[in-house]
Amino acid sequence: MARKITYQQAINEALSQEMSRDPRVIIMGEDVAGGAGTDGEDEAWGGVLGVTKGLYKKFGDRVMDTPITESAFIGAAVGAATAGLRPVAELMFIDFMGVCLDQIFNQAAKFRYMFGGKAETPVVIRTMYGAGFRAAAQHSQCLYPVFTHIPGLKVVMPATPYDAKGLLIQAIRDNDPVIFCEHKVLYTLEGDVPEEPYTIPFGEASVVREGKDVTIVTLGRMVHMATEAADNLAKQGIKCEVIDLRTTSPMDEDTILESVENTGRLVVVDEAHPRCNIATDVSALVADKAFDSLKAPIKMVTGPHVPVPFSDVLEDLYIPNAAKIEAAVRLVMGKKN
Amino acid sequence: MQLSKADLLKAYRMMKTIREFEERLHVEFATGEIPGFVHLYAGEEASATGFCMHLDGRDKIASTHRGHGHSIGKGCDVDAMMAEIYGKKSGLCGGKGGSMHIADLDKGMLGANGIVGGGPPLICGAGLAAKVLKTGGVAIAFVGDGAFNQGTTAESLNLASVWRLPCLFVVENNGYAEATSSKYSVSCDDFTDRAAAYSMPGIAVDGHDFFAVYEAAGEAIKRARSGGGPSLIEVKLNRYYGHFEGDAQTYRGVDEVKNIRATKDCLVLFRRRVEGAKLLDASELNKIDADVMAQIENAVKKAKAAPKPTAADLMTDVYVSY
Amino acid sequence: MANNQARGAKVGVVANPAAGRDIRRLVAQASVFPIAEKRNMMTRAFSALGTTGVEEVLLMPDGSGLSDRIQRALKLPLPEGQTWPKISFIDFEPEDSPADTLRAVKRMVEQGVGAIIVLGGDGTNRLVARAAGNVPLVSLSTGTNNVFPVMREATIAGLAAGLVATGQVDVAEACYRNKLLRLEVNGTPSDLALVDLCISDELFVGSKALWRAEGLDQLFVSFAEADAIGLSSIAGLIRPVSRRAPFGLWFDLCAPVQAARVVTAPIAPGIVVDVGIEAVNSFALGEAVLVRLGRGVVALDGEREVEFSPADQVVVRLAEDGPLSIDIERTMMLAAQHGLFVRNTPVARGAGVRTAQGG
Repeated sequence: MARKITYQQAINEALSQEMSRDPRVIIMGEDVAGGAGTDGEDEAWGGVLGVTKGLYKKFGDRVMDTPITESAFIGAAVGAATAGLRPVAELMFIDFMGVCLDQIFNQAAKFRYMFGGKAETPVVIRTMYGAGFRAAAQHSQCLYPVFTHIPGLKVVMPATPYDAKGLLIQAIRDNDPVIFCEHKVLYTLEGDVPEEPYTIPFGEASVVREGKDVTIVTLGRMVHMATEAADNLAKQGIKCEVIDLRTTSPMDEDTILESVENTGRLVVVDEAHPRCNIATDVSALVADKAFDSLKAPIKMVTGPHVPVPFSDVLEDLYIPNAAKIEAAVRLVMGKKN
Repeated sequence: MQLSKADLLKAYRMMKTIREFEERLHVEFATGEIPGFVHLYAGEEASATGFCMHLDGRDKIASTHRGHGHSIGKGCDVDAMMAEIYGKKSGLCGGKGGSMHIADLDKGMLGANGIVGGGPPLICGAGLAAKVLKTGGVAIAFVGDGAFNQGTTAESLNLASVWRLPCLFVVENNGYAEATSSKYSVSCDDFTDRAAAYSMPGIAVDGHDFFAVYEAAGEAIKRARSGGGPSLIEVKLNRYYGHFEGDAQTYRGVDEVKNIRATKDCLVLFRRRVEGAKLLDASELNKIDADVMAQIENAVKKAKAAPKPTAADLMTDVYVSY
Repeated sequence: MANNQARGAKVGVVANPAAGRDIRRLVAQASVFPIAEKRNMMTRAFSALGTTGVEEVLLMPDGSGLSDRIQRALKLPLPEGQTWPKISFIDFEPEDSPADTLRAVKRMVEQGVGAIIVLGGDGTNRLVARAAGNVPLVSLSTGTNNVFPVMREATIAGLAAGLVATGQVDVAEACYRNKLLRLEVNGTPSDLALVDLCISDELFVGSKALWRAEGLDQLFVSFAEADAIGLSSIAGLIRPVSRRAPFGLWFDLCAPVQAARVVTAPIAPGIVVDVGIEAVNSFALGEAVLVRLGRGVVALDGEREVEFSPADQVVVRLAEDGPLSIDIERTMMLAAQHGLFVRNTPVARGAGVRTAQGG
């Protein structure tokens, strides 16, 4: 039975259901209970934004507050995954990956290959990303392209509450390391989510709008910007097909290529900085494999090549929006803006 | 501390196997047939053996660049290890890991590690798994004096202490982090001084003396298994070869290695002790020597003859499912 | 202070970097004594030695960083108001083994030191005693796990050592002679113990420290204090014997369940256990006792040192020619009596006396 809950509640529900189903699932991270060792409430926070609230009460010691030592606890999650647990580690902000990246890209990501296919590392690293909170340069980045670059990691980018729950359950049940990226602006977004557990396979994009004129490939929070643009453009007679990648590794190449073969036009929307991001990756894919289908040059709509600024005026300028997407679509349609 | 005759024979065989494996690699590497980087454990055998003798299938270890000894100690197949170092398909990791990444998770060997300080966080995780799953297992991070300065090690000592994990942090101090002396690079006068800062016991043992390592390891492991928490053990030892094969070691004293080999060879010291006390006969130990020589000779022959991986192997083993 | 007698006086300092690192930290709750503090103790002693007029301090080299730290400290400006003696390292390549201590002490004695300050535990003092001859020792404990050395502030220990080395306090007045337990294997002197010598059925020296009550077979003590920690406490709690009494004790031990008498003794830090007593014997100076066990280890001052097998004949003898120890309290008392730290100044009489008006 579906009912409306938020993206944040969907994530919490996925964790709760998986922890109930499988005693090997544990949660660790900074303040995931929030209050360990204090005189106050032992679950004061339930995650810095309350995403894991209630899980400590329900599961006790399987929800572990960690010291602020990302290398140690992300590495511990990875090590525990090789030793029989299925940890879900929360790395508060994706921006903090820098302090523990070795444990992710040299350890977790490489075990399977390096050890000749004999290792399984079923670890999920949940992390929040993205601009929009006035959190500035060190708490707003979109570093998912970095992880997408690394063989051995799976990278998941849910855009809706429904996808958040289904993809997270899939991530927990998956036997590879998964970087699960949650956009902090989306936590309060409501949507229909079934109560029962379900999974969404990785590498299957979601076509959120069908259309014959232009393909818009996007992901994460930008899915909502793109659909807003598509709806506006529809009123002007331009039919956009909006594809939500949902996972960047694996990436659903077939859905992208089929759509571009139908529309002949491509706009890629990615909140990340413009160099070596998902937009460039998708553009390269299409240029490589569907060049003959293209009726117009590919356009990319991305954040600019600057750190995320603090001031609201600047941050709003930084974030791609529906107007920029509409302009890009009109351009590939050969229309004047 | 009591050791049965079978234990003594097992320990000697383990040390001898490591020694012969490494001495042979030293020779073979010089021929140019072995690709990449190889870091030899010769001289440090009593450490891996002293710890691994106490371990069983529940237990996990993580190793260092210098990981062959720990791998043999934890029961990795010697033929498959040799084949791996030669980059062959029959290698322990299918030729995809090499010397620096030898691992066998089925044996509880979480890998040699190409990253200095890569192991301790993983061992916190392995210890956590043992604790949550109540397996009774312990997890041991072997690190060198170089990794002892890494933030990952410091963080892991803290985390293991905070969570009271069944972990051991074994610092194999051979005096050199690559070519830099630990006397220069380690700020505390004594490694074990750092243990107190993490509220865990810290002890130092002579890594040339199997019996000293074995006993200390046994006590630390017993403590960890019974819920007593982590401990830090500095094993003072020496390496016979350079940081990697091909290292001319001009940073070492002229007769340093010669003197160490003459006075601190853990195998010689072991033999002297058990033969002197008439616990084992020289003939029994000689037989092990001969067995091990034949075993290593056979492993090298097989590794050389084994086929390399094929192009089809390049793209496999990245994901469990993708 | 005045120190006209001090010309050329030398003092040796032996700090064992390995002391306080053994397995008792793991199996018991033995104290952790940071090496950094040993270094600090040494520098405090240097300052005190400088005050008494000692001209040179001889140090043992070591490979574990302690001497490096001292050498680094020597390159820095001295703390304000301090005058250190010349600090020299005895020149040899350390092996980082007990042999370093023996070698260093031998060289110190050859170079005519008037006293040796020992920073370490019973084990370190045992080594120093083997080579010190008639040079008096100031033995400072670096940890709470010792019987022979005392817990004293290093500055005071340095002053006492300096006073004796410079001849300002007479050796004969300031020092006392310790007893000694000599170990002989197959008729040959093997080693010695200052406090206790214990026979255990353990097979191996292993990690040295002896902390298990199981398998203890015989115990020999040169002295036994009721408030001691370690194996000698077994004796101290039954029949205390002072450091200066002309006899020691030896015991046959057994499992508590087989014993008519059981003593509960703190045989290691945090380990207070039952030990079965089979027999208590007075141990006369010069007396030799043949060890009854066929195979086992000999622990000297709590550390397993010698393994023996049925082929070996092991004998323990109580000797009176142990090392000389400086009695710090007595030395400082004599210094006070002789006014060695007090001097008259040319300042006008009364100038230094505070008046009610506050001057």
